[in-house]
Amino acid sequence: MSEKILGGVLLFISLAGIWLARSFEAPFSYEPVGPRAFPMLILALLGISAIALMLEKKSAVTWAAPATLQRIGALFLIVLAYAWLFDKLGFIVATTLMVVPVARFFGASWKQGALGGVGLGVGLFILFDRLLDVALPTGLWVANILG
Amino acid sequence: MDSTLSLLMQGFAVAGTPENLMIALIGCFLGTVVGLLPGLGPINGVAILLPIAFAMKLPPESALILLCAVYAGCEYGGRISAILLNVPGDAGAVMTTLDGYPMARKGLAGPALSMSAMASFCGALVATLGIVLFAPLLAEWAIAFGPAEYFVLMVLALCCLGGLVGDSLPKAAIACLIGLLLSTVGIDSNSGVYRYTFDALHLQDGIPFIVIVIGLFAVSEVMLMLQHAHAGVAPMTITGRLMFNMKEFMLAKWTMLRCSLAGFFIGVLPGAGATIASAMCYASERRMAGKDHQFGEGDVRGVAAPEAANNASANGSLVPMLTLGVPGSGTTAVMMGALTLYNITPGPTLFQEQPAIVWGLIASLFIANVMLLALNIPLIRVFVKFLSIPNWLLVPGVAAISMVGVYAVHGNTFDLVLGTVIGGLGYLLRVMNFPIAPFILGFVLGDMMEQNLRRALSISNGEVGVLFNSPIAIALWVGAVAMLIGPRLMKMLAERKERVAA
Repeated sequence: MSEKILGGVLLFISLAGIWLARSFEAPFSYEPVGPRAFPMLILALLGISAIALMLEKKSAVTWAAPATLQRIGALFLIVLAYAWLFDKLGFIVATTLMVVPVARFFGASWKQGALGGVGLGVGLFILFDRLLDVALPTGLWVANILG
Repeated sequence: MDSTLSLLMQGFAVAGTPENLMIALIGCFLGTVVGLLPGLGPINGVAILLPIAFAMKLPPESALILLCAVYAGCEYGGRISAILLNVPGDAGAVMTTLDGYPMARKGLAGPALSMSAMASFCGALVATLGIVLFAPLLAEWAIAFGPAEYFVLMVLALCCLGGLVGDSLPKAAIACLIGLLLSTVGIDSNSGVYRYTFDALHLQDGIPFIVIVIGLFAVSEVMLMLQHAHAGVAPMTITGRLMFNMKEFMLAKWTMLRCSLAGFFIGVLPGAGATIASAMCYASERRMAGKDHQFGEGDVRGVAAPEAANNASANGSLVPMLTLGVPGSGTTAVMMGALTLYNITPGPTLFQEQPAIVWGLIASLFIANVMLLALNIPLIRVFVKFLSIPNWLLVPGVAAISMVGVYAVHGNTFDLVLGTVIGGLGYLLRVMNFPIAPFILGFVLGDMMEQNLRRALSISNGEVGVLFNSPIAIALWVGAVAMLIGPRLMKMLAERKERVAA
């Protein structure tokens, strides 16, 4: 079933993509093949593959148990939030906030999670920002405090 | 031959500077650690370290030496968890569990580890010699390729990978086509037309390679690790002797040599990587062993064969990437992406234009493997300690380090969010058994494919026949179709035969 749904989505993407590609026209051109041929070719093949996927008999997708899926979804949202807050909160704070719940998902106690969070946040900041010269954000709030 | 030798010496001069030796040592160490951690393999190691190497502003040859050392180290590391935990540290080490773990249970963990390190070294050494001998020849031959041949060669590479990996052809095709499609996002360099940017400023230059790589190989990996989280099994402890003895060595020496040679040639072929090489070599060695073997119950040849093969093929798969500019595996696709970040285009001309980089890389493989052998036999107990890193610390650590890399290169959170979203999609695809290597290969090759196709058709004034004109192109097309259909056809025929027999 999952394959049928995905096949449908991909078929839609390929049709929508081809429709969008119609407008890719070079104002003037020296070459016989313009900017839209290659994407259209790829999308047409994608559409055919999507139909083949839907017609395939065997379906062997095993999704994780609902409880695990929920946790994986939550993990995804946490990483997404981490990505978005990365420079707003600064590396150390954002990392600490990300590590605690993720560590909990993988069976850490609250204490381990908190220690791990602070440890990774501060440790990686020192390692990368100070020792390896890879600049990391300190966070807008720090800048605000410092005026 | 003389010139090859002098070029190689030049390479050693590049790889032998104190900084580069230090970088190689660090890479070997990190690589072994990443390799031995179950769930993280060479592709994750290279993917996570690539942006960091770039952000540290390492010069290109040093960055490549780091990545190569990590790649080589991962192939050594995978065997440690295979032997001590019965869990392969990376995909190439699956076969090593078959005899490695039984050996460890018999109290022979030490010899199993040292023998497999020796076999890894032998495989890598043979393959690196193979690169020295064959890569310049192949590069010279490929220099005659025109855009049409190049286009078909890339089709062949994608077909090889698509035909060999995964359980279904449509899935492999879809993975590869999504990769190709994502590579078209951004401004078309020939005409200046915006394609699929949806008016987003950040998408104008296309989706950055690092973002795709981190999404697919760090974010989705982290999600999969939560799905496959298994209760920690305590690793076997190493008791007794550390080294293999003379008898074991004599028993395994031809196995090592045979598997190294076979592994190298399998590795050179696009598509067939370390996993296939080690499985094939294990099976054939088992068949050749005659009656009084202990394969499956802890035969020393059973750890030597897959390790020699997987290291040889991992090194061998660098050949098509370096000489043709067409990688044949997921990891080499990532390495090639690394080269393009430095504005170095791999391909036949690389050997002439950037000899310092090519030969420095090859020399660093020799150096890295000597280092790895030295690290892996006496210091094995140090590496075993890393097996006890709990997942609750490892997983968020991986997430944080990946984000550091992306942020350091691009300096904006749009890319971090985009990488996470791609990681989520990657997770869905992987759970549905889509192979991910064709995806990354398609993304890496997409732009070159389109450019070569357009160039070929410009030369012929739009006449499509140019793609089928030269004998080389025709041979490549035949190969592509055969590789796409052949492996599955053979599998189907074998299944039918079985059914008839039963």
